[in-house]
Amino acid sequence: MLNKEKLALIEEMLDEEEGSLKGETRLDEIESWDSMAVISLIALVDEHFGKPLSASQIKKFKTIQDILDYMG
Amino acid sequence: MGIGIAAISYYLPEKTLTNDDLAALYGDWTAEKIFNKTGICRRHIADDEECTSNLAEKAALNLFNEYGVKPETIDFILLATQSPDYFLPTTACILQDRLRIPRNSGALDFNLGCSAYVYGLALAKSLIDGDMANNVLLITSEIYSKHIHPMDKSTRTIFGDGASATLIKGDQNESKIGKFIFGTDGSGASHLIIPAGGMKIRSSMETKIEEMDENGAIRSKDNIYMNGPEIFNFTISVVPKAVNDVLAKNELDIEDIDLFVFHQANKYMLDYLRKKIKIPEDKYYINLKDIGNTVSSSIPIALKMALCEGKLKKGDNVMLVGFGVGLSWAATVIKW
Repeated sequence: MLNKEKLALIEEMLDEEEGSLKGETRLDEIESWDSMAVISLIALVDEHFGKPLSASQIKKFKTIQDILDYMG
Repeated sequence: MGIGIAAISYYLPEKTLTNDDLAALYGDWTAEKIFNKTGICRRHIADDEECTSNLAEKAALNLFNEYGVKPETIDFILLATQSPDYFLPTTACILQDRLRIPRNSGALDFNLGCSAYVYGLALAKSLIDGDMANNVLLITSEIYSKHIHPMDKSTRTIFGDGASATLIKGDQNESKIGKFIFGTDGSGASHLIIPAGGMKIRSSMETKIEEMDENGAIRSKDNIYMNGPEIFNFTISVVPKAVNDVLAKNELDIEDIDLFVFHQANKYMLDYLRKKIKIPEDKYYINLKDIGNTVSSSIPIALKMALCEGKLKKGDNVMLVGFGVGLSWAATVIKW
């Protein structure tokens, strides 16, 4: 999957405007990134990438790029 | 003659807690966001003086009245609860007296949460099958609200109090409880836990100290802690397999199931499981908008609601899957 498509999935998940997120965007700067979004991300990665994503792994994510890299 | 479910009733406390109440407390979450993420509008909450035996008693009395069941016909009481009236005695023993169930009946509590109803059906079936009882009263009664810190939005938005009563009998002509599968993973014990208050860490001034976590939720060690992401991970990894395993054990295909009633955890999780397992929407029961996640009572309350709405009919194959605290899970198929 292209980075652009992955970004679109994350934007849709977070209800953020299309094109608003970049690789370097810090997660703690995104208002909609909260405990509910964490669960949505686990579901998204399971559904589209078939990968498990633990809570401790998510804690290590600092930027959108970290999520894109994990998606592979 | 088969061993089946003869009657189900439930009881919900009168007081309710709405999303507006919660949004006013938590600030950063609107009532709409709470509903969109959980599928829950309100939860029923027990009064200060209402305890597990009160809810259980009311659920059982509803069952006796609705179906004309005489308490003297009951010969075993199984009570699932994680909020018992006392450490001891057993709450089921108190219920024997209060419900005027004969003294030559058996009674026991068992400590399981969201998987408890399916385990309770398995215990009831085996008591009858082993010729140890004929009419088993399976009660689930839970008051998680008393375990939850008022400022813990991660749990208070989800859980509601409630109780159910189910009569399992050995002389059923049509209803038949099928075969079961079980699962346990104690390595996930800390993902849903009340750390203090038992014998390992006694409740003390120290365990009452409130702390705020990184999501802004406040709780002490005397309160319920839930690691939502890990519970979600556990669920999406075990439930699809449990569905396949219980189908195989009952020699059924997924198309043979008329209704799927899973533990009503929250709508987001239920929707995701349905998509993942590829269950048609019209065969998948979700109803937690006005009650929330009632732990061990969620499956029996859903069954009763489905019955009242005509979505569960005589002769249907209904699959039940319970999963949660322990970690623990179980599934069965019932011919209704």
